[in-house]
Amino acid sequence: MAQAANNSSVTPLKPFTPEDDVNLREALKRCSAATYEAAAQFRKTGNNEHLPAIVLGIIERYVEPDLRAKLKDADDDLRVIEDLGIDSLTMMEIVILVEDVLQMSINNEELRYLRTVGDVKTFIECKVRGLPLPKPTKFIPIEQIMSIMPIQPPFLFLGEASVNAHGANAKYKISGQEFFLQGHFKDNPVLPASIMLEALGQLAVLFLLEGQVGEDGKVVDHKTIFFTSCEGVRCHRVCKPGDVLNLSIKPKRLKSPLATFEGQIRVGQQKAATAEEITLTFGFAEEVVQPVQSAAPVSVPAQAVVNG
Amino acid sequence: MRKVYITGLGFITSIGNEAGSVSESLRELRHGIIQYPPFQKNDIPVKVAAPIRDFQTNTTDPEDWIFPARYNIRREALRGMAPHGVYSYCAMQQAVEDAKLTEADWSDLYTGLYAASAGSPFLLTHHVERMRKVGVMRCPPLGVVASISGTVNFNLVSQFKIKGASTGFSSACASSAHALGFAYDEIALGRQRRMFVVGAEDGNVESILPFAGMRALSLQTNPSIASRPFDVARDGFVGTGGATVLVLEGEEEVERRGAKVYCEVAGWGQASDGYNVAISHPDGAGLRVAIENALKYSDITSEAVDYVNAHATSTPIGDLSEARALKAIFGHSPTRPAISSTKALTGHGLSLAGAMEAGFCALAIREGFMPGSAHITQIDPACDGLNIIRSTLPHRPNVVLSNSSGFGGANVCLVFRAA
Repeated sequence: MAQAANNSSVTPLKPFTPEDDVNLREALKRCSAATYEAAAQFRKTGNNEHLPAIVLGIIERYVEPDLRAKLKDADDDLRVIEDLGIDSLTMMEIVILVEDVLQMSINNEELRYLRTVGDVKTFIECKVRGLPLPKPTKFIPIEQIMSIMPIQPPFLFLGEASVNAHGANAKYKISGQEFFLQGHFKDNPVLPASIMLEALGQLAVLFLLEGQVGEDGKVVDHKTIFFTSCEGVRCHRVCKPGDVLNLSIKPKRLKSPLATFEGQIRVGQQKAATAEEITLTFGFAEEVVQPVQSAAPVSVPAQAVVNG
Repeated sequence: MRKVYITGLGFITSIGNEAGSVSESLRELRHGIIQYPPFQKNDIPVKVAAPIRDFQTNTTDPEDWIFPARYNIRREALRGMAPHGVYSYCAMQQAVEDAKLTEADWSDLYTGLYAASAGSPFLLTHHVERMRKVGVMRCPPLGVVASISGTVNFNLVSQFKIKGASTGFSSACASSAHALGFAYDEIALGRQRRMFVVGAEDGNVESILPFAGMRALSLQTNPSIASRPFDVARDGFVGTGGATVLVLEGEEEVERRGAKVYCEVAGWGQASDGYNVAISHPDGAGLRVAIENALKYSDITSEAVDYVNAHATSTPIGDLSEARALKAIFGHSPTRPAISSTKALTGHGLSLAGAMEAGFCALAIREGFMPGSAHITQIDPACDGLNIIRSTLPHRPNVVLSNSSGFGGANVCLVFRAA
């Protein structure tokens, strides 16, 4: 079937026969009418504008009814597994239906990194248009974060993290054992606002080091990253031991020597803090491709510290 | 050895979808056999079957299936199930409610689940056909677990979060009797405190009709006489499906929970014919030894047996073998024990039969009756000397045997005793 989607050249549309239409209706019988309409239009015209509606419509059909509301006003960061309860088997079901409806083939390897609704949409669009697939989201466990980052415990405020071309996400659980909570405040441990901003800054550092920022194989030198400024920082919620901070940053401007990000912290569905702009300076390493790993700088002082 | 009791039952059967209606059907000899619509075609000589009611599972897409509203099965669970997976799930729900168990009780290291079914030929053929037609990579990812033998244990163990022993049994029509026997062992030996025993079958075109090829099915068109074990005019069995779940618990657990008890599982025995792949031994040699073993291991004499729920499926050869085995054991007295085959009412449930009939025995002991052997007009003279009861007796049997025989000459006898 339509290997066409894998070719980079544009291939002529296959005619959409009445029999195809019957099969398409059958395949999408549990999806919304709008999903079928979009799919039929796509099959007739090849117009990629219909893709998001088709893909979202197919995902929606596999989401348990009580979770579907989340998809309604979903942004592209909505996570397929964690937020929508879709397991890897359901993901396969989605893929098989997408393949069937869009007449394309997807292999297992390509699926491994599709973690968010945005990933899925971008992936499908690239497949259909024959574009090279985007760099997948990279998931970085805590051990690896420690080996990458110049900042180390007890002043590292990132747990597991993920980085892709559009930004980075991380979690940090306030354990209650953080040294500064002893005095902030007396008998009432509350995470300092400055630390929230620091955590976002650290995530931005991780993005600069892992997010394929440099072109032509240039890599950011971790010794060159420092805090410059921040704008529009607001705290919305007091964060205490036991809370899990969901940190996210997105680059707004990236041009050596300055990188500006917007950042947000959520706890569950509640907004905890936002920063309109966090700006860091950075520079590239002299030589190309120097693995930053292994030589974890244990005693390097914190370099992206925000003076709160 | 610890004592083992039956403390919960769940039924989705051709004669009732919960214990109350099943018991009523057994007592009043109400059968569940009909002229089965999918068989009413010129090229199908078999016309009757005993389908279950209130479920609709005749499409290959589980999301189309209809089942009673009291059972809530999520899509995520449903997609890995065969029709008899749904029946088992519902029977399981009934059984845990009946035994008054909560998930905290059963989801521990000491509760296991043994199951038996032949898988789903219906879904298996569908998925294989689809694979051939649309290609290997376009098959539903859960097609395998929904259709192969073992599908019942895969599904129930994961959905009910069973953490103890689990496996499936595959000895055709003796399967779920084997499951019950080995489940008894797990508890008696102290390895588990509680076991769920499940027998189930789709009971649809694909699971029943292949038996027509071996000439094992009744060609009767009248549902009221099609299944008539021990009758001289019997001409084959009537297929059925459904599910039965039994809860077995050890004495400590029964005491700790103050659980109500149907009866004791006193023991069991098995033996094989070593004779033919599909034909039972003409003298019922293996079954006779299975019964002897069961009595020996239960420390019960043949004189003490009040009622035998026979395997008798209404096939000419099978019923005769069993009659001979029974005569070898009970020939000393023409009045004891009472013998009947409830397959006259339910049809033959294949892998489901052993568990379903064990459930019937538990009901009979607790409620105090012995179901009659229905539809006999003229008893086969070969049964002379056996007390085959034609109507239900309103007495409580104290000791009950349940026989099952499967392909390859596998024979199992289960022993139940009033608690």
